[in-house]
Amino acid sequence: MMSENVLRAARYPFLPETREFISRNIDLSLESLEKTGSEAALKRAVERVKNALIFKEVKVTALDELNYVREMLSFPIAIILVSMIMNEYVRRMYALGESRGAYRRMLNESDETLLYIGEKMGVGGVLDDENTIRVKIPTYLKLAYSFHAPHWKLVNRAVNNGYVSMGKTEYARLIQVEVNNYVYEKTLEPVPAGAVPDSFRRAADEIVGVWSRLETGKASRVPLREREDTPPCIGRIIRRMENGENASHFERLVVATFMIARSRNIDEIIEFFSKQPDYKYSVTKYQVEHLAGIRGGGKKYSVPSCRTMLTNGLCYPDEYCKGIKHPLRYGEKNVADEPRVP
Amino acid sequence: MLQTSLEFLKREFFKYYYENISRLVPPEPIRSREFGFFLEKGKGMFRHKCFNSLRDFHEFILNEIPLDIYVSAANYEDPCNRDMSEKKLVNAELFFDIDAESVAAVSEEESAWICQKCNQYGIGLRDGCPSCGAPTELVRLVSEKQLNVALRETEKLIHVLREDFGIAPENMRVFYSGNRGYHVHVNQEDFLNVTGEGRREIIDYLLIQGLDEKELLNFLKRGVSIGGVSLKGVKRRVYMRVLEKAGSVEKLKTSKRETVLKMLEGIVEELKVRIDPVVTIDMHRLMRMPESINSSSGMVKRRIRLEDLPSFKPLEEAIAFGDEETCLKVKIAPRFRLGGRTFGPFKDEEVELPAYAAVYIVCKGLGEYAGR
Repeated sequence: MMSENVLRAARYPFLPETREFISRNIDLSLESLEKTGSEAALKRAVERVKNALIFKEVKVTALDELNYVREMLSFPIAIILVSMIMNEYVRRMYALGESRGAYRRMLNESDETLLYIGEKMGVGGVLDDENTIRVKIPTYLKLAYSFHAPHWKLVNRAVNNGYVSMGKTEYARLIQVEVNNYVYEKTLEPVPAGAVPDSFRRAADEIVGVWSRLETGKASRVPLREREDTPPCIGRIIRRMENGENASHFERLVVATFMIARSRNIDEIIEFFSKQPDYKYSVTKYQVEHLAGIRGGGKKYSVPSCRTMLTNGLCYPDEYCKGIKHPLRYGEKNVADEPRVP
Repeated sequence: MLQTSLEFLKREFFKYYYENISRLVPPEPIRSREFGFFLEKGKGMFRHKCFNSLRDFHEFILNEIPLDIYVSAANYEDPCNRDMSEKKLVNAELFFDIDAESVAAVSEEESAWICQKCNQYGIGLRDGCPSCGAPTELVRLVSEKQLNVALRETEKLIHVLREDFGIAPENMRVFYSGNRGYHVHVNQEDFLNVTGEGRREIIDYLLIQGLDEKELLNFLKRGVSIGGVSLKGVKRRVYMRVLEKAGSVEKLKTSKRETVLKMLEGIVEELKVRIDPVVTIDMHRLMRMPESINSSSGMVKRRIRLEDLPSFKPLEEAIAFGDEETCLKVKIAPRFRLGGRTFGPFKDEEVELPAYAAVYIVCKGLGEYAGR
């Protein structure tokens, strides 16, 4: 029963046949998972993510392949773990690690297998003579535009009759991009909070531990929490205006666009501006509606960037401003200097 | 433009649309396209318009008699939404524009200058008014010579799209723009979803930008014949042309590296397809509606069948109006050919012209309607 196909499914667990194999042969109820070794699969899943974070490549040994049930199961579990962590960096690193590992393995495959994987991943190729594979131009453009080396530019490629020709290595590279996209998108799917067993939580914690150890001293990318707080630059203008100080035209624009962005309703905003010494209801209403895109060209104005605030002498940063470029991103990035204890 | 002239145009446009409305068929599905119109002279474009059916579209045109009609290259989920990102782009045709103006210079005798300040005018290209020195308004007539060059570019484009990009002839529609250019619309399933980045790559390919000349140069300097290199696509075309121009492989081998490089650059200039890059990159672009009138000339954006391309005569085949004699007060007009006849030159005279030529002069801002 252990055919070449099963090994292939274990080696490239993102292939649709892996999913089919799992749903056909493995009882996904918990007690049977115990028996088929879900604990082993979970362990291997953690290893996959750790591999990606530490070595930037998920390695699959011959032994892993022989343990094909564990291997196949470990991939969807790893995705669940990464989704649970909800961290953009971990997502990207995991996708990169899986796709890089797959790329290395693909280089050793026969033409037939390589083309098969490509086909299944939506990177259909046709084998030509002289060891070249051709790919449809739109497929090529979709995947190759992320490469910046001149030889990937379409103008430097062998283009003919709707196809781009390339060697096997380059073809595998294109598939890698698609694998990367696929894995990354999978990790964006939310995990229903109630459904996650404790063992998964512990596994995710373990990964976070590894990640923090790697990240110590580096600026962190984890969102602290969804802050509704007002950035200090805008808070300062608001406080001054509340005290009846006359704000400049630009300062008013900043406050109005900020309030619009935070979904305050127009009447509330006008009410706020009514404290201004030169307040006129009709003028304020007109201008606020204009900024909100209700009037004029229908264009909604955005809050000026940090750069613009700085230029206008209105930037008063605090520690939550670190690493952001826009006042609306305030508090989304963590304080950088705090050392992490694993 | 005087009110009487504008009314004359609207009457003539109405006659054209009334008779030819069935020729105005926007690409399917009509519900997912955005439409734009110029309704009045000098006013902004009325856009974000959409229609539920062909009938609604036709009714709108016959009611409003727009000066210009445009349709989006893109399909949207919500084409009438005024916010571009809220329109939700589904996909977009590939749209190419070859502008005669940028492929060949217009000649003196096909242009006129007008000084709005002191009301002087004359034939030729003059930036400043000779009597008051103010900047002039230049009017360039539709030049047959320029259009011929643009037509050759269009043929080049079609050749590359077919040979290299594998675009099937039935998915390619070629048009004379009605004024100074040609348009090519490509509606081939697999290319509809190519993103802006991908379109940029297609443009670079057509304009031969970012070509790795070193590789070609090395082949050339080693004296490899075309049979000896496995080149395809634009590189092959460049390589073959260099060999052809040099006469023999041997000659290239003994030439200086700089000489060959210069030759290579010259050939890139010759082989590139001179499309307007901005038009193709922009997936939200509005395209002039096929078979509608171009109000910069009064001619029609006319579909050209691929097999008719070599012999297409824009200044005869894109005429929209009849030849009833029409009275015009012409300020200035260089000699021009239209509808197989030659007119002018005119200066400060009242002339009788066939309606199609009268519309042309009025659209170009060179004369005013003076009654039939």
